[in-house]
Amino acid sequence: MAFSELIKNFGNIRDYMREFYVYGFKSREDFTSKSLRSYDDSRRRIESWLSDHMSFSFTPDGKNVFISVDSRTCGSNPLFKAWKSKSFTDGDIALHFILMDILNEDDELTLKEILEEADTYNGMFSEERVFDISTVRKKLGEYVDLGIVISRKEGRNTYYKRGKEYELPAGEVLRFFSEVSPCGVLGSFIEDKYGSTGNGIADKLSFKHHYITSTIDSEILYILFDAMSDKCQVEIRSVNHKRKDTFEDTIIPLKLKMSTQSGRQYIMCFSVKTERMIAYRVDYIEEAVKGNVISYYDEVRRKFDLMEEHIWGVSIANTMEHVMFEICYGRYEEYIVDRLLREKRCGTVTKVKEGLLRFEADVYDSTELVPWIRTFIGRITALEFSNKGLERRFRDDLKRMYDMYSEVSS
Amino acid sequence: MIFSEIYGAYYNIMADILKIAVKRPPSQDEINDIISARGFAETNLFFNADLYENRYKLMTGDGKTPIKNSPSMPLTFAQKRWLKAITLDPRFTLFDIDIRGIDDITPLFTPDMIDAFDKYSDGDPYEDEIYRAHFRTVLKALREETSLKISMISGKGKLRQHILTPVCLEYSEKDDKFRVTGQEENHILTVNINRILDVEIVPEAVYIGRAAYPDKHEVTLLLYDSRKALDRVLLHFAHFEKEAVRLDQKHYRITLKYFPDDETEILIRLLSFGPLIRVIEPQSLISELKKRIDRQHDLLS
Repeated sequence: MAFSELIKNFGNIRDYMREFYVYGFKSREDFTSKSLRSYDDSRRRIESWLSDHMSFSFTPDGKNVFISVDSRTCGSNPLFKAWKSKSFTDGDIALHFILMDILNEDDELTLKEILEEADTYNGMFSEERVFDISTVRKKLGEYVDLGIVISRKEGRNTYYKRGKEYELPAGEVLRFFSEVSPCGVLGSFIEDKYGSTGNGIADKLSFKHHYITSTIDSEILYILFDAMSDKCQVEIRSVNHKRKDTFEDTIIPLKLKMSTQSGRQYIMCFSVKTERMIAYRVDYIEEAVKGNVISYYDEVRRKFDLMEEHIWGVSIANTMEHVMFEICYGRYEEYIVDRLLREKRCGTVTKVKEGLLRFEADVYDSTELVPWIRTFIGRITALEFSNKGLERRFRDDLKRMYDMYSEVSS
Repeated sequence: MIFSEIYGAYYNIMADILKIAVKRPPSQDEINDIISARGFAETNLFFNADLYENRYKLMTGDGKTPIKNSPSMPLTFAQKRWLKAITLDPRFTLFDIDIRGIDDITPLFTPDMIDAFDKYSDGDPYEDEIYRAHFRTVLKALREETSLKISMISGKGKLRQHILTPVCLEYSEKDDKFRVTGQEENHILTVNINRILDVEIVPEAVYIGRAAYPDKHEVTLLLYDSRKALDRVLLHFAHFEKEAVRLDQKHYRITLKYFPDDETEILIRLLSFGPLIRVIEPQSLISELKKRIDRQHDLLS
């Protein structure tokens, strides 16, 4: 089959996008789960979509392809382009523009009237294209579901008209929220309506600490949000990377937790199978299907809300752990006090004496605090975890770091 | 739902070409320009071939079309639901606009369904009237390409005055803060909007003669892949221009490029990975890390 830069199924390309963007050190031979042909085609497609951001390196293992983007300077998320690559048939595109041309916001037309009108669009072409009634009915049905066509049934007839069009929000509003809000690609689709000009000062916006990879999970997120909105459960199939296989679960989705420091997204949920609160990484979910309404949804959500004040990151264990550490700061280092206060997500900060602060918290999983506590290296004067194994590891790690850099001259 | 051809690059290209064709036949140069602006790297090859073969039957070889009206498409439910959701975001009111046609739409998500759990808690005060007025003045200057006279409190608590020609408005999700970056005389200056005490538009525009960002620095690390370090480090630094090279089954070399004003932040972020990474370049960063680690060794020994 001839190569096309368009694709039918987004799921197939999702893994490649992530591998090229996040990891980027794998060579062609490392992609063992897919055929080499699939790798070659996917790589060529992604190169075509993101040509400005693709890089290559040559190692003894072979040629590595990776996406290298400084999201602070790129303005709009380049990965949105992948969502604009859906394949279609010649009939799909022709019928789209003909239907949008025939229908208007005020006058309703029956299917028969639409068909008759569509036939008049053939006159200019030597080879006629005839749209059969079932194709047009199916396309109209799709457009009604999408919301761009409105239908009304009266007796045996169905009447169709276009959805209403309104003035679009300013380009910079669309750009800002496309970049910072979940499912932002939907805003990018709206911004596309402006074309290359007229999008206001959108190009004067930039984003720091900006993780762009989560956009490729937008379709899964849409289903999760839709289910949360309607208080429904969701059937998911997710990847277990440790066991290198997939598993299924029925979940009641409660809240999306987004990390501004890693770009990871987790769906906090109640697992119907294991009967416990759990966090699933959204990028590991391969498939999600909205299920039935849950009558006790609000009760589960209330229970989660109570637990939330002891969740540092996303991990929820059965027992609570205590964490305490103290840090020192100098006379002109008040910014350390500010840092501790603004960066703590739960727990308390007390001033032990001038120049000494104590942080204490009860959390479900103290492992989650370790990276943060390490950012105060050079100032930690006391440390106590109720999880003694973790405390030992923290101290061992400090020793390893000391040894690691001890041979380096300062 | 989201992955649909109606949002696709090819449909957008066709719409732009037809917008011309309903008035007059588009030239090949116009078609090529539209494809270059809207399409992907290879679209020119594929789309022009489709047009040439007349596969879509929407435009004849000599640029005539049976389409009568300039093509447009109403918003989909998904787009409206997303728009409704962003109107509930506290930052939406900063832009001082109203979105019509979404009154009876269910938002895709509401603020209680999402949580940026590790963002800092001293974010900008979006509800504060003075802050909002300053924000709007900065937006106006960016739109009208004029300069700003700013009185502000510096990070060290000192009163400062600046005449700044804004180049861009930057937002940090981690800090939850807006900053305006621009040119003051011949250097680049970044001002946190929340530090502004007073701001007004200066009528005369100042010529911007240089890029907003300085040259980047590089840091190179060796990573030992244990406790999911590879996944964590690469995700954590994913937003930087970077390169990762596998040295053997467990060791990787990672090079990151960053702006010089982010050096302290980079240092802190590197510390958070403990002994799983080792900085091998540059010497200045290694020295600073060593200083902190040595001090820590003395404090807890």
